[in-house]
Amino acid sequence: MDLPVIPTPVFPRWVWMEEITYSHIPIATMLTAFMLLAPAFEYIGVRRQDRRWERLSKSLIWFSLILFSPGAALGTGIPMFIIGTYPEFWSRWSNLFFWPLMVQFGFFLGEVIFLFFFYYLTWDRWAHRKTLHISMGIVAAFFGYMVQVVWDSLGAYMMTPGGVALPQVDQPVGWSLRAMFNPSFLPLLIHRTIGNFSYVMLLTGGVFALRYLGQKRKDPTSENTSYFHWASGTCFLMGFLFFFPMPLIGWYYAEVIQREAPAAFLAVMGGHASRYFIIKMSLILFFLVVGGTFVVTRYRAKAVLWTTTVGLLIVLAIVQIHPPLRWLGGSPVAWRLAAAAVLLGLIAWLWVRRGAGDPDRQGWQWALFVAGMAAFFTFGLGGFVRERSKSPDTVYGEIVKPERTQLEADRYLVYTKWLRPQGLYPEDLERRASTDWQQQVQQARQQGLPLTDEEADRIIRYLEEHH
Amino acid sequence: MIVLADAVNPFIQSPGGAKFTIGWIALFHTAVASLSIGFAFTVTILQIVGYLRRENRFDLLGKRVQLWHVCIYNIGTINAIGLVFALSGLYPQFWSQIFTQFFWTLIIEETLFFMLATTVTLHYFFWDTLWGHKKLHIVLGGLLTPFFFLQFYIINGMGAYILTPGFGAGQASLWSGTAGILGWDKLAFYNPSFLVLTLHRTFANFAYGGFFVAGVCGLLLFLSKKQEQQSLYEVGGRLVFNIAFLNLLLLPIAGFFYAWVLKYHAKGAYDNLMIGRGDIVAGGIDWWWTKQLIVASMLGIGLAFARKSAKAQGNSSLPLLMVYALASVYLMFYIGMGLQMTWRFFWGSLAAAVVAALVGTHLLNRHEGSGRAVFILMGLLSFLTVCLGGYVREASRPRFVTPTGERVAGFNRIPDYSEVYVAPERPELMTIQMVRDRPAYVDKLPGRLLRPDPDRWTAADLVSYRCISCHTLERVHRYQGDDWDRVVGRMKAYGMRMTPEEMSRVVAYLEGRGDRQDGGQKTNGRAEER
Repeated sequence: MDLPVIPTPVFPRWVWMEEITYSHIPIATMLTAFMLLAPAFEYIGVRRQDRRWERLSKSLIWFSLILFSPGAALGTGIPMFIIGTYPEFWSRWSNLFFWPLMVQFGFFLGEVIFLFFFYYLTWDRWAHRKTLHISMGIVAAFFGYMVQVVWDSLGAYMMTPGGVALPQVDQPVGWSLRAMFNPSFLPLLIHRTIGNFSYVMLLTGGVFALRYLGQKRKDPTSENTSYFHWASGTCFLMGFLFFFPMPLIGWYYAEVIQREAPAAFLAVMGGHASRYFIIKMSLILFFLVVGGTFVVTRYRAKAVLWTTTVGLLIVLAIVQIHPPLRWLGGSPVAWRLAAAAVLLGLIAWLWVRRGAGDPDRQGWQWALFVAGMAAFFTFGLGGFVRERSKSPDTVYGEIVKPERTQLEADRYLVYTKWLRPQGLYPEDLERRASTDWQQQVQQARQQGLPLTDEEADRIIRYLEEHH
Repeated sequence: MIVLADAVNPFIQSPGGAKFTIGWIALFHTAVASLSIGFAFTVTILQIVGYLRRENRFDLLGKRVQLWHVCIYNIGTINAIGLVFALSGLYPQFWSQIFTQFFWTLIIEETLFFMLATTVTLHYFFWDTLWGHKKLHIVLGGLLTPFFFLQFYIINGMGAYILTPGFGAGQASLWSGTAGILGWDKLAFYNPSFLVLTLHRTFANFAYGGFFVAGVCGLLLFLSKKQEQQSLYEVGGRLVFNIAFLNLLLLPIAGFFYAWVLKYHAKGAYDNLMIGRGDIVAGGIDWWWTKQLIVASMLGIGLAFARKSAKAQGNSSLPLLMVYALASVYLMFYIGMGLQMTWRFFWGSLAAAVVAALVGTHLLNRHEGSGRAVFILMGLLSFLTVCLGGYVREASRPRFVTPTGERVAGFNRIPDYSEVYVAPERPELMTIQMVRDRPAYVDKLPGRLLRPDPDRWTAADLVSYRCISCHTLERVHRYQGDDWDRVVGRMKAYGMRMTPEEMSRVVAYLEGRGDRQDGGQKTNGRAEER
């Protein structure tokens, strides 16, 4: 029988889909990051005999437990929603990944059992058996992380199938190692793992900064005030430092996408998803400026300043050598110079600002919170850009979303059949906007660009309408 | 372990078979999820009692129960995710197609699920923070029960549909029987057994949650050494035990009406339950009968406990007169059931209840009036009944028969009720195409299934539809005599409507003289497919 795609009210189904998914992912990522960090913090507390670390660790777990139920309930809703609104995709995709999904279910079960019963509930009871307790935390974190590993693998497949075809509805493959270990699995996993640590800690630092502000108003000398002061700085610094490997990993990830999903790559680098990517970059710049200024003001140690400097130089290097980024702004030289000026200026600013000012002022606490929120939105935009970039495909090159429009189809054709074979980027289209597209396309065909008549017509129409 | 589909069987293979996998996950989920409504209700009662009596210990117990609830709730949630994945992989046709009828139902259920998950968590984790706003906190907790009820009201609509599709048994209902909303089939949702299943499960869940809490209290009574804690668990355990028992009392009656609906709307399943056919019997044990005996035992233990409490005039006890009145009512109820079904049912249930009552009394005496052992025993029994109830309901549906009439073990992916779909049972014919508007096949769909025309009833149909007006088929099945003409004549004298021609066909069928076309392929009516 034909299975109808269920229509959604008010918004198109992809908007609903993204809305539900984006409500679940921040919760899930925060949980995983907290679970990985909590046993580490507890261990540091035991080693240093510093109870603040244990308190921080326990508060992360406490918050994780609050998030767990709503997050899991939303997680149940996502497959339900997909099954109804994207039935073909779900049937085929779950045919390929049935066993990974079931294994993920086992990991999830292990996570909840260890997190609730052997880590949280035993916290006070095993106060004198710290090694055992920390071990339980590590086991819970392992299960939690494995859930993320499975999902990253399945999610990465949607962007880079790596030559593994999406099976048909009546082809229950069950699982495929090649599909699981697809080309972008590793970079996505590393990117998300480090990215989670970074954004979660920046946000946590920002929230603790506000708690510090509140406690300071109540009683500036209380133990709580001192704790929140310490926790906000520590978490924020960790989040800030975790950020610096991200450009390197992101570069590696982009390289894989460029090779395996060229249309998606072009969409991000100047194409239809680039505006969101630029917003993401601006948010990163914002929290780098605010966070950098804060950490060098609060922590006068030279190690912090040097680490920040090296990190910013890495960012600068990536910006300079990443091919498509060179075109941002219209001129490679102008872009390179502008980026270098901004980042070197920031480094100079940090060296000048080191130890100056009062980082405990109210304005700084709000600034930390805003920077934490910026990090959170950066993370959210990362996922959004990734999904938008492969639109209208649901699984790159394998299946398109049912609501694909003619514009999206033509745009995809321009990316794959016009830009990519010629080594062009969407920015190049802007630079040649006044040209006669019909003549250009015909000329390219004569020079050997493989295009059918129908494809050439669609490409010309798209270029004439939009460039 | 086979993990890949082979060419012969184009389904994903799972260890132990798809049915085993789904059954295991679903039972696990049901056993855990069914606790939620009972827990929520119990917590609210404990909080209210604590607030009214100004006794902190009830509040403390409520908080502890809510912590168990949060922990168990999350396990249940994860299980639900596993169930969704397992169903979509192992029963792809069923699962995909049921979404065309119940997509919006499931989405509303999911929304409630999210709200409940958040509220349960906040209710527990902010217990102390909201200490100064107790009424607000109690109201917040009190909201959980109706919301849980609403959630499982929705699940019951779909669960009941699987057993009794009713007017939803026809894809036409998708388009013409509803407001035209794809993903919401009103006729299928409000199916014949929906209401009774909801009632039955409501009482069952309240009882199960209460007995479970009492069972944990009993366990903690054994483990705790402090006087104060023992008092907390004893008093708290008694309170929740009594609430659970009051709900248990309603179960046999709700169950009777549930069976009554099945008798007319899921005849195959009903016959399987009553006669003990198909998967109802596993490992040589008739699990429906076992469940009935456990329920009777629970009634016996509960009444013995109530009698003992009333005599001791302890807290939260029922008046002695009421205990005896209840015992009399249930004696009469079971006599009625004996008349309806078989006397074996009556005597078996009575024996189980009496023996269990004696055991319960012995346990109470042995533990010097403490209910700890009884609490644990009832907790275990209620857990068993919930599992068995779910099992027999699912197992009662007739097994899948292939188009060629074979019963293929391990190929049982598309259940008997797949007749509600146009799709043939053969999986290779299953295709899923995306359509954005009204599919073309809608106009060609068959109309709703109607009850067979009485003129075309076979003798077997006559026996099924007429005899079960007053009693179960098991009475027919177990009748030892050969004087069917006299028996049928007597039934007619009792008021059964039957023409002389129909009567002679029925007698011939029961005596094993009916021809094959008339449904009389067995040599004896009693030997019906045991």
